[in-house]
Amino acid sequence: MQPVWDLPTRLFHWLLAALIAFSWWSIRNHHTDWHIWSGCAILTLLIFRILWGFAGSSTARFSSFVRGPRAIGEYWRGKWSGIGHNPLGALSVLALLGAVTLQVSLGLISEDEDGLYMGPLATLVSTDTADKARDIHELWFNVILGLIALHVLAIVYYRMRGRKLTLPMVTGRARVERGTEPMRPGKWWVALVCLAIGIGITRWIIAGAPPFGS
Amino acid sequence: MRFMTCAAVCGCVLLLGCDAQSGKANNAQGNISADSPPATAAVAITAAMPTAAPATKAEALKIMHERHEGMEGLGKAAKAIGRELKSDSPNLGAIRASAKTVTRFAPKIPSLFPPGTGPDVGKTGAKPEIWQNPQDFTAKAADFQKVARAFGTAAAGSDVNAIKSSFASLGDSCKACHDKYRSKMKH
Repeated sequence: MQPVWDLPTRLFHWLLAALIAFSWWSIRNHHTDWHIWSGCAILTLLIFRILWGFAGSSTARFSSFVRGPRAIGEYWRGKWSGIGHNPLGALSVLALLGAVTLQVSLGLISEDEDGLYMGPLATLVSTDTADKARDIHELWFNVILGLIALHVLAIVYYRMRGRKLTLPMVTGRARVERGTEPMRPGKWWVALVCLAIGIGITRWIIAGAPPFGS
Repeated sequence: MRFMTCAAVCGCVLLLGCDAQSGKANNAQGNISADSPPATAAVAITAAMPTAAPATKAEALKIMHERHEGMEGLGKAAKAIGRELKSDSPNLGAIRASAKTVTRFAPKIPSLFPPGTGPDVGKTGAKPEIWQNPQDFTAKAADFQKVARAFGTAAAGSDVNAIKSSFASLGDSCKACHDKYRSKMKH
């Protein structure tokens, strides 16, 4: 068993999954305040993951898995070997990160129907824009659900073909073919710096993004 | 394998939950005509809900339309007040103007929910539970009337903190009723 996913990437993955579920549950049950906090926590996670995608372990870096159409073609023809996201799966990673980022951005400027709750940046836009943002925010969740369904189905498909992907995302380790380049682990203090930057930017946004907002 | 099953179950639950919600919203039939005249008739202030249903469907739809416009106006007023209260120097004049919308509409609420104005009659966010729990609904409407009056008094003064705290109670009162008796309505 060789390391394939570092701890920060795994924590990011499962926290994101849990917070998306919690965001959905909280808004369905009228806990709009919890929903907004959950969204802010997701924002921190996203900032962390994007930074970790440049400064983290080799398998977490965008440069290692976003490889373009030629690599996807080679993967399709079975000519790819390596650890981490395969070139096709990379598209799913980008789509999910992008869709969740858009969702959080819409939530930041949204306002609820009754004028009781506002996203931290809703005062930067008009009431009409905040209302529209909320409508799109609600619809966009279906896109996220679709991507999650695709993600889960892909895992089920790989499992049927004999590849277990979920356990490595928990333990961080997987059986790797001999001769595969091993994961170059990132530094733990770099992960902490990325997290600190994520928390810092989120707090700035919660404060209304001064000096642009309140 | 266990984790994968969990993930798959979570995914399915998410999908199911979403579907149940969208199904509910589509149940409403009929539509309130958009060009019906704005309701200007004064409505008697009553403490209790009317017990008699409107005589005709047209009459029911008229009440529902007035209710919808009134609630929408209330939401707009709350949004305007909320924005003022969030700014560094709230415009008290703007707050008072919106507060008037609130205090004027609040006493009308009980009379706008007679039986026979539910989702079976026309498009509305009013849940049938309103007419299954008339006492609770009336109590909530009365509470809203009370906090709306208190908010009107606070808004007439110049103590921003007092306005903020009474606006918070107003919001709690909106939410107490909406969480229980309002379904999602798209228009």
